[in-house]
Amino acid sequence: MTQATPNDATQPTVVQASNVSKVVSTSEGELRILAGIDLEINAGESLALVGASGSGKTTLLGILAGLDEPTSGVVRLGPYELTALDEEQRAKARGELVGFVFQTFQLLESLTALENVMLPSELRGSRDAREQAVELLARVGLEHRHGHYPRQLSGGEQQRVAVARAFAAQPKVLFADEPTGNLDTATGSKIVDLIFSLNQEFATTLVLVTHDERLAARCDRSVTIAFGEISQ
Amino acid sequence: MNWRLSRMLAWRDWRSGELGLLMLALVVAVASVTAISLFVDRLQQAMLNESADFLAADRYVGSSRELPPSFRDLAQARNVQAVDTLLFPSMVFAGEELNQLVSVKAVSPGYPLRGRLRVATQPFGVGVVTQALPELGEVWLDSRLFPALGVALGDTIEVGLAKLTISNVITSEPDRGGGMFDWGPRLLMRMADVPATEVVQPGSRLTYRLLLRGDDDDLEALKEDFDLQPGQSWVGIKESSPSIGSALARAERFLLLGGLLAVLLAGLAVVLAAARYARRHYDHVAVLKTLGTGPNAILASYVGVLLLVAAVAIAVGLIVGFGLHWLILLALQELMPIELPPPGVRPLVLGSITGLICTMAFALPAFIHLRNVSPMNVIRRDLGATPPSRYLSYSMAAAGVIALLLWYTQDVLLTLWALGGTSLTLVIFGALGLLLLRGTRVLGTQAGSLWRFALASLQRRHRENLVQMLVIGLAIMLILILVLLRTALLSEWQQQIPEGAPNHFVMNLQPEQVPELQAQLDAAQLPFDEAFAMVRGRVVEVNGLSAKEHRAAQGEQDRPGANIGSERNLTWTATLPQGNSLVSGQWWAEASAASEVSLEEEYAREAGVSLGDELRFDIGGRQLTARVTSLRRLDWESMRPNFFIIFSPGALESFPVTYMTSFHLPVDQKRFLNGLLTSFPTVTVIEVDALIARIQSIISRVTQAVELVLYLVLVAGCLVLVASIQASRDARMHEHALLRALGGTRALVAGTLAIEFAALGMLAGTIGAIGAEVTVALLQTQAFDLPARAHPWVWLLGPLLGAVLIAGVGMISTRSLISTPPMLVLRGLS
Repeated sequence: MTQATPNDATQPTVVQASNVSKVVSTSEGELRILAGIDLEINAGESLALVGASGSGKTTLLGILAGLDEPTSGVVRLGPYELTALDEEQRAKARGELVGFVFQTFQLLESLTALENVMLPSELRGSRDAREQAVELLARVGLEHRHGHYPRQLSGGEQQRVAVARAFAAQPKVLFADEPTGNLDTATGSKIVDLIFSLNQEFATTLVLVTHDERLAARCDRSVTIAFGEISQ
Repeated sequence: MNWRLSRMLAWRDWRSGELGLLMLALVVAVASVTAISLFVDRLQQAMLNESADFLAADRYVGSSRELPPSFRDLAQARNVQAVDTLLFPSMVFAGEELNQLVSVKAVSPGYPLRGRLRVATQPFGVGVVTQALPELGEVWLDSRLFPALGVALGDTIEVGLAKLTISNVITSEPDRGGGMFDWGPRLLMRMADVPATEVVQPGSRLTYRLLLRGDDDDLEALKEDFDLQPGQSWVGIKESSPSIGSALARAERFLLLGGLLAVLLAGLAVVLAAARYARRHYDHVAVLKTLGTGPNAILASYVGVLLLVAAVAIAVGLIVGFGLHWLILLALQELMPIELPPPGVRPLVLGSITGLICTMAFALPAFIHLRNVSPMNVIRRDLGATPPSRYLSYSMAAAGVIALLLWYTQDVLLTLWALGGTSLTLVIFGALGLLLLRGTRVLGTQAGSLWRFALASLQRRHRENLVQMLVIGLAIMLILILVLLRTALLSEWQQQIPEGAPNHFVMNLQPEQVPELQAQLDAAQLPFDEAFAMVRGRVVEVNGLSAKEHRAAQGEQDRPGANIGSERNLTWTATLPQGNSLVSGQWWAEASAASEVSLEEEYAREAGVSLGDELRFDIGGRQLTARVTSLRRLDWESMRPNFFIIFSPGALESFPVTYMTSFHLPVDQKRFLNGLLTSFPTVTVIEVDALIARIQSIISRVTQAVELVLYLVLVAGCLVLVASIQASRDARMHEHALLRALGGTRALVAGTLAIEFAALGMLAGTIGAIGAEVTVALLQTQAFDLPARAHPWVWLLGPLLGAVLIAGVGMISTRSLISTPPMLVLRGLS
């Protein structure tokens, strides 16, 4: 079994996976995607999950963020033991603790840039959702694009809206799945700068999945996944 | 429920056009149901009123004896209007020489309770509606009595011992031609004048009627109150005129079937539109879930969205439906100069509840799926919803369909037929559809690039296409069924009373008068029927028991209407008459010398007589015994002379006999009757031309209603087409953008689409044609009592209709797909 522990043991652990496995049934029998993963991530830490395509890193990210359930093992996120919660309770935990940035941006097509950023605060019933969103959009350099719909924005701009939305929830942990995967190098590095600077500013824990070695190198720690296991 | 989130989602989806199709489908569902039921409701009421005109009342109680005065009090207590009439034949005299047998109708003030009296200012003049009745001491006469009696308006005639003044020419009254003795020219007088005539004596042929008008419930309750005795009959439109009764019953069934199909089609459109909306929101929901929205909150929010949409759609649908029904009425104003009763609230309630049921049963399941969308969808696409909830949605849709059908048709049998037929069709045609799709793949590999792309595209989405094919096939099937049934019913109705059908019956002809009369009809070039011998007689014994004892022995089976002892017209014939079919027993041999008798099956059943029974008849005081050797079924709608009791030839030979025949007299040759009556003063002529004209007018109105319902169903069907094409639009858009990005020209994309849609339509049309043919054959034989027939043109029309409709609608609704730059599409869907 492989082990992955944080470099700085003085910070409290915010994400913890113990002996996590994921098995799915396919037409050709059972497929083991993750096998006995143990992982701890401390508050304020930035961690890159790297590995080849199909290694299981995205599945692990989903499980750590409470988007998916493991077949066995225990996952903790902040005060919650995710694996003991149902979907309703996991959603509550996500709303409270987690922010996301996706490779495919995942903005809501029917909402404007501003409305997309307002969404997390609105869902929490926050009264100053608009002011906060205006501020965040300005922070990512899109103050002049409030009323634009996602299809009217470039890829880089869409991802900046997505980053603003991720921080609108003031998450404890930000999960990012290939945040630069759909962007050119220059735009990608601007987005990365943005994520890291906001991460610093909001004192967020960052967990990201990437192929990009330079991006992985900017993180405090890298964990490589191969064939469903942590290899270093 | 999170109304704030629902409102926000609904408003934003509406603004971006996401809810448009769902809203439209619901509006069409509610609007077409509202319009059809408003129209049908008003038309049905109008048709019932019109039919009630036949009786001059909603119901009546008839008897050959005076009805007890307590009936009027009971009617008053139930808030039902009641008016007395009395019918009897009588000789009237004008001066010393001229006399004529007339049919007298004596009426009380208030007559008629339904329909109108028409009078003319001179004999054979055009009739105009009047509210008046003859004054006391006055009579109104039929046009042809004026020349026959040699009288004019203002003259006096004698009816029995009373002298009455002729004050008007009566051209029509609503309940003309209603009874056995109600033939001959009409004389209308006041009931209060009857005693003075002294013609009403014991043994007179009298028909007393108490006409009634009121609410259906009150009338039914009144029937119970009356506690009718044998000899008193309760008559509504269905009893009084079987032709109109069955035409109305069929029309009702047909309109209901039409309404039912519109609901089903609209329901299909709602299913498709809701499924598309839900599918387009999988990512949306996944994102909301990653942002911390739980499954219950998702469900509550989207149900909220749906309820908001339903509320708006129902409101809009009701308004549109109401407007639509007014438009229909306006368009038909010329054709339908009948006063429609004001619309009731029921159609609006029907529309609203239909909208709500459509929403809950057809749209809600797709929305419930959203609850189960995995948040992992944001990272890994195509996860969709978990399968178990699909069972829920199928059962909800099925429950909704059953609830709607049952509620809408109030007919369990029709509902079961529709459901059974649809389910069986779906299973069989699912298999057939797969085979057809496989076939196109084989064809496609050998075709040119345009065809290859198109057929490959059909094959690639074979699951979606199969569903789409079944849905469109079902829509085409429903439309074809409606067209087929309409054609079948209309031609059958029209055949019922063919051009030149006999409209006058001549009775009481002496044997030697028959050839003379036929010569006169020949000379006037009027077509006539064969002459039937007729003897009046009654059954006095059944198997040795007197008729009274037999009735008592029959116990409960004996009903007031089946009085075996009453006097009947008897005839004899060697061969089974036209329009008669043998149900059991054997028709006699031509040379048979035995006394045999054949009975109409319904008459035999009600009288409690079976094959082999021995009946003793009293004919003018002489008695005759005959054995029942066959039972017949009659075509009551044939307008030909029909007999309950037919003897074998020879059995009645020694009895005094008269003949009856029938002929067709065009309306402009009515004066011919005067010459006829002068030549044969003893004969009786029954005029049924007015009755036939009434039946035809009702049938033509029913036909118009049926056509309208067809158009509305067609609109609903087209919406299903649009919805089903829209359902696959996103996937197509992406593929064709790719095709164009890879160098495909617009012409290639357009051609591919056209071929794909046309092929899909053709396959769907083939399925529809097969389904329609089978269902119509079943419906015709099982529900409408018509013979089944094959319709070869349907096999051509189905696929053609499918190809043209789907290619047309498909190309229109995907034209943006061809004109949108591929970059926009690829980025928009990336």
